[in-house]
Amino acid sequence: MVDHPAVEVDGLHVGYGSTPVLVGVSLTVPAGGGVCVVGENGIGKSTLLRCVSGLQQPDEGTIQVFGGDPGATPEFWRAVVTTVEPPTWYPGLTAREHAELVCRAHGQDPSSAGVDEALERFGLAGHADAIPPQLSSGQKQRLVLAIALLRPSSLLILDEPEQRLDREGRADVAGLLADYVAGGGSLLMASHDDAFALASGAEVTTMESLSAGTP
Amino acid sequence: MTVVPLSPVRRWISRTQSSHRERGATLNSLYIGALTIAIIGGMLHRQVAAIFWPSAPDASALTAGSLVAVCYGLLYLALRRFGPLALSRAAASWLLTAPVSRRRLLLPSLRLTGIAAALLGGLAALAIAGHAAPRSEAGDEVALLVTGGALVGLVLLLVATAAQAGGRWGDALDRLAGLVFAAGLAGLVTAATLDRPAVITQWPPISALLPVVGAVALVVIVALALVIRGLAATPSDRVLDASRTAGTLFDTAFGMEPSFLTDMIERRFWARRRLRSTPLFPRLPVLVAQDLLLTLRRRTRLLWLLLTAALPVLLGGAPGWVLGAAVLAGCLIAGLTASGNVKTDAGNPVLLRLLGLSSRQAVLQRLWVPGVLAGLWAAIALTTLDLLGDLAAGPWWALGLTLGPVGAAAAVHRARVGFVRNELLPLDTPMGTLSTGPLVNAVMGPDMLLLGIPAWIAIGSGELTPTLLLLQAIIGVGGARIYLSGTTGDDRTELSN
Repeated sequence: MVDHPAVEVDGLHVGYGSTPVLVGVSLTVPAGGGVCVVGENGIGKSTLLRCVSGLQQPDEGTIQVFGGDPGATPEFWRAVVTTVEPPTWYPGLTAREHAELVCRAHGQDPSSAGVDEALERFGLAGHADAIPPQLSSGQKQRLVLAIALLRPSSLLILDEPEQRLDREGRADVAGLLADYVAGGGSLLMASHDDAFALASGAEVTTMESLSAGTP
Repeated sequence: MTVVPLSPVRRWISRTQSSHRERGATLNSLYIGALTIAIIGGMLHRQVAAIFWPSAPDASALTAGSLVAVCYGLLYLALRRFGPLALSRAAASWLLTAPVSRRRLLLPSLRLTGIAAALLGGLAALAIAGHAAPRSEAGDEVALLVTGGALVGLVLLLVATAAQAGGRWGDALDRLAGLVFAAGLAGLVTAATLDRPAVITQWPPISALLPVVGAVALVVIVALALVIRGLAATPSDRVLDASRTAGTLFDTAFGMEPSFLTDMIERRFWARRRLRSTPLFPRLPVLVAQDLLLTLRRRTRLLWLLLTAALPVLLGGAPGWVLGAAVLAGCLIAGLTASGNVKTDAGNPVLLRLLGLSSRQAVLQRLWVPGVLAGLWAAIALTTLDLLGDLAAGPWWALGLTLGPVGAAAAVHRARVGFVRNELLPLDTPMGTLSTGPLVNAVMGPDMLLLGIPAWIAIGSGELTPTLLLLQAIIGVGGARIYLSGTTGDDRTELSN
């Protein structure tokens, strides 16, 4: 896995109907490195992340994740965590139980994995017994990030993880992402916040610089 | 605060809406509605007559009393579940927040639900009298009983309306109505087991009926006045909730998509619960532990499920194939009580991707709890039938347990169906155009009950041979196994069929 870049995108073309969104986009995320794509709304950041996650088929171009095709296989999803799509929470399961479920599905012991510490770190300790639909949008975002960072993975694909977080929350999440990259994980994210991206230990790049032509 | 008169606002809305409709569209809709009722009535008039007024009374006094509890308990619970007072989505958005009289805003809803409650109450009284009362010239008594039934329907509506605006006593009353309904079901089952139940031999005299009906009418008048006076105090959140329910019901009917309604009921149930995080049973596979935890958190539903295991007794006198089909359908319902998580994963696989499990691992684990519930339900139902002598002696409990995999496969298949596909080609039939999407959707799940054919044959004939028992065990487990390997894979996470 380490012989290959975490993500390698070459000549990616994606359009919605007659409107091109991504034109000749190329990008490399080295294994153990982080890249943050910035740019205004509608420029195709989320579309790029969806394609890299294997959730959307490009019209043209190649995408390799750790040297293989992104796909729907369980092996892929054991290595990759993405927050590109919002989850539908399990009914009748609390926030803490969701975190425990994900840990146990990956063979982790919830206590050793640090479920309670993670909830505390993300400011959710007081909401551990709430069902996620009762949480505010910011709290739900923090829960998703907490679970994403709790379970083992090799690549995080995050779409605007700073959204709906307050200033301290942003600083905390940026620190955790920097630790993740320092620990050998790879990170590809889209953001509107350059300072957050830099604090996450990611190399900041613009959509324009990745694209062969302006859509 | 200045209160804006509501009538001119409503007239303006009605006029503006009419101007966007085609000329005569409303009359056309009324004509089609009336014609549909006339055609269906013409086709089914014999069945309707059998439901409301069979040629000879066929119910005992206990059955009649139990039916009263079932019908009126259910009517009250339905009124509470749907409001009873609701507004359209548009009115809830624009008029509930406008400075108009809340009482005048809600009065049309009260009028409409009043008509419906009286109609249903009257029809229930007619049907119960039709099944239990002796056949003699008793026109006045029938009219009084039907009027009394309609008035009871109105009383229930008024109590439900007060509960909608009131405090926690409404919840206590709901539980009481649930108990009345459950007692009614228990009464029906008991009546079906009696050899010589007492029957009603004569109509109650007019002299006794008239004061009772008069008293109920008086209660309705007083309660109506009190409810109308307190209508303005109905909290906005309750009206909004009821309006969302009405809107979802409309969506369900219009889109022929029952999941809209079931999802809403599920969301509301959990939103009201106060939960405490508990460790997921560490010795069990993770998704089995999750399903088990969710099932144990809905103990009331489990109790209802246990109660329904006695309901096949009501079909003890029906043809054997009907009884067999009812037991198989019960297995599906039992399995469905624990298949909510499959539905979540099939609708949106985001969490399944986060769990990193293959669709085969996920479905295999998700089959366990529905299977145990379906097997136990069938075992209890068949043992009850056996003990009451509706089936020849035999190890029926074992046959019930072999139906576990059948119920599990059917319930999980049903939960994986997803939305109704309305884009499927409609069928032209002599009765008109038939939409195939809802039909295909409706049979997915029940179709897996075909795996229970050996049990169906055994229940239908009333005899259980060791060969049929073994055959059912093999077909049930083998069929569920083939379903698992045929519809899932180790190389994908998505659960959709």
